[in-house]
Amino acid sequence: MTNDALSSTYELVPKTWDEMHTDPTNIRSQYDVINAYLKKTSPDILYKKEELSKQLFMKQGVTFTVYNDNEGIEKIFPFDIVPRIITAAEWDKIERGIKQRLKALNLFIKDIYNEQFIIKDGIISAELIYSCPNFLREMKGVKVPYDVYVHISGVDLIRNNDGEFYVLEDNLRTPSGVSYMLENREISKRLFPGILPKSNVRGVSNYPNMLYKKLKELSIKPNPNIVLLTPGIYNSAYYEHTTLARLMGIELVEGSDLVVKNHTVYMKTTNGLKQVDVIYRRVDDDFLDPLEFNAKSVLGVAGIMAAYRKGNVNIVNAPGTGIADDKAIYIYVPDMIKYYLKEEPILKNIETYQLGNPEEYDYVAKNIKDMVIKKTDGSGGYGMLMGHEASEAEIKDYLENVKKKPENFIAQPILRLSTAPCYIDGQLTPRCIDLRPFALSGRDGIDICPGGLTRVALKKGSLVVNSSQGGGSKDTWVLQ
Amino acid sequence: MLSRVANNLIWLERYMERGNGILSLLKVNFYANQDSPELFSWTPIINNFTTSDNEFYTEDAIECIDFMIFNLDNSNSLLNIVTRARENARSVQEHISREMWLCINNYYLHLTRKDLPKKLKEEDPVQFLEELKSHHLIYNGTLDITQERGASYYFLNVGKYLERVIQISDFTVLKLADIGKTTDKLEQTIYWKNLLLSVGGYQLYLKTHKSTFNEDHVIKMVFQDKLFPRSVYYCVNKLNKHINQLIESNELEKNNLEFLLGKLESTIKYTTIESINAQGLHNFIDDIKADIRNISLNINSVYFSNT
Repeated sequence: MTNDALSSTYELVPKTWDEMHTDPTNIRSQYDVINAYLKKTSPDILYKKEELSKQLFMKQGVTFTVYNDNEGIEKIFPFDIVPRIITAAEWDKIERGIKQRLKALNLFIKDIYNEQFIIKDGIISAELIYSCPNFLREMKGVKVPYDVYVHISGVDLIRNNDGEFYVLEDNLRTPSGVSYMLENREISKRLFPGILPKSNVRGVSNYPNMLYKKLKELSIKPNPNIVLLTPGIYNSAYYEHTTLARLMGIELVEGSDLVVKNHTVYMKTTNGLKQVDVIYRRVDDDFLDPLEFNAKSVLGVAGIMAAYRKGNVNIVNAPGTGIADDKAIYIYVPDMIKYYLKEEPILKNIETYQLGNPEEYDYVAKNIKDMVIKKTDGSGGYGMLMGHEASEAEIKDYLENVKKKPENFIAQPILRLSTAPCYIDGQLTPRCIDLRPFALSGRDGIDICPGGLTRVALKKGSLVVNSSQGGGSKDTWVLQ
Repeated sequence: MLSRVANNLIWLERYMERGNGILSLLKVNFYANQDSPELFSWTPIINNFTTSDNEFYTEDAIECIDFMIFNLDNSNSLLNIVTRARENARSVQEHISREMWLCINNYYLHLTRKDLPKKLKEEDPVQFLEELKSHHLIYNGTLDITQERGASYYFLNVGKYLERVIQISDFTVLKLADIGKTTDKLEQTIYWKNLLLSVGGYQLYLKTHKSTFNEDHVIKMVFQDKLFPRSVYYCVNKLNKHINQLIESNELEKNNLEFLLGKLESTIKYTTIESINAQGLHNFIDDIKADIRNISLNINSVYFSNT
């Protein structure tokens, strides 16, 4: 039995790049194998595969908990069975672009916390840097191993209707989602037996080994004690923390498991205190050390920053990297690339208007229906205004709020996120997607895992891919 | 090993063992209650697992089982116990075998299926309880064949045998209260038999002593048998063994522990049945429980020692 009806109703979204279709009847060659497979599979079997994928997530405990009325409801991050496929040529450009960008961003962080040439040369104003909430004075003059600040990153890309990839945001603090990259692939192997090798898809399962190697080389000890610091079981990314710790064979610790004595970090074990050499922390800067940052934090460790400054422990990513992925700083990344590397940016930025600048504010206010306004220190898709969806009253209220502190807001034109086919109610239907590849930087350079997390806005017409707001994910296949 | 991890491993296993014991007790009492509701009421069982402010009261068998399995306000309902076991397992995933995690998670998913309470009400309650119990059997087998013998395994076993001793003691006290209320020898015999069934020792008793119920034989089997895996002596012996493994591998400080356990083990082993009867089984159990509490506190001190 075949399933020709599967994509009979596939309606391309106007003025939007579709990852699979060039037009209603033709598809891009990288999708040939999977398309043929889907077409020859009966609707019943596809339905079963979808159910299977849900069960697999539940059975392995790949869930996050949503708290409502004191009751925790465990949910899976919705998974769409149809993979997103990237060609070798596309990947090559993405890879070069991200490497270039990370190189510049890392130089920028080093510069900002040391000599500040970029300010002295008038590229970025001191005011902007010091007004940024993620700038950490505590990091000034701190030497970090091999001058690497951002070890782990997850740059968000989107493909615009010109077919080019644009950088949406850099995510240089504690980006999550890498466990879904790994888990989605394991599930694809079971959903589509034989199709991955037939399509020459590059593997992603090496990521934990790559990460472990990067963490290990930060210490001069032959067998350093490396731990993963989690905020705990109630964190929505807890599953990821347990998975990474398990796959690397390292200890998963909470703040209360650690203690600082004589500027050295120890973990409390059944046979006494054991020194900790490298901490992959999934706790934000703010909560890292109650002595230096948020004094009420119970997620961190008192005295850890002092130990870090003494060089007695490595913290990954380094504290203070948030200065470089701030939305107000984002605008300057192309300038940084030119300034530090003397190169033209390979990946484009999205045109961004700073509302602190009266001229740009006026332009945005005039074209507000085509704009999305974001807070510079916001994340997770919260606190945004989508001009095309908002009512006049909402726009008015929002702008009133902006006027109080316009430098805290930026605006970008509403993007045409590319669409990819999703299996919804027995049909292939286009939905907007983005892409988060995961990069690891260390002593010997930058490695990017060939794949990543493709997030999907599962609601029809929606551009918001965040898991907290109805987003899902897809397996991401990078071809050889 | 992290102290918190050791603590979580002990509690993971304590909860699993407790769940298993509750299921046995419910099944045995269900049968007994159908025979003679006046001898085997549900209230003592409910009281044993709830706090003094518990307001739940009924003698309806299915409702009582439902309360002990699903009620979220009952902190010892199976659902709450397995949820806590799973939370503990979740936070020590890199220390237990993958198979154990999948097994516990699968048990939790079964227990939280929306149609399960309906199944208890409409279908065979014994099969319902046995299905739940089979998760414990699978779990114990999985633990045995997939978990390496090391600190994690020893801590898990410390939890298992601590909980089991407490449970056997509690079940016995529960029956002693009933026995104390009657002078009818036959009724007393029925209670002793029921105790054996609750701790899973009835079959062994028959094999050893045939179908004659002698109080002393039951006490000796439940408290002093060397080969019965649910006797207090067997559990204390195992507890001792696993704690010594931990002491040898420097995961646990000797402190008083070695002494306390050694003393408890020999007390149970060498106290004659005459002497138990002379002091009263109740007092004998109270002493055991006090010792176990002391041992448990000594182990706890490990987690708090470095804070």
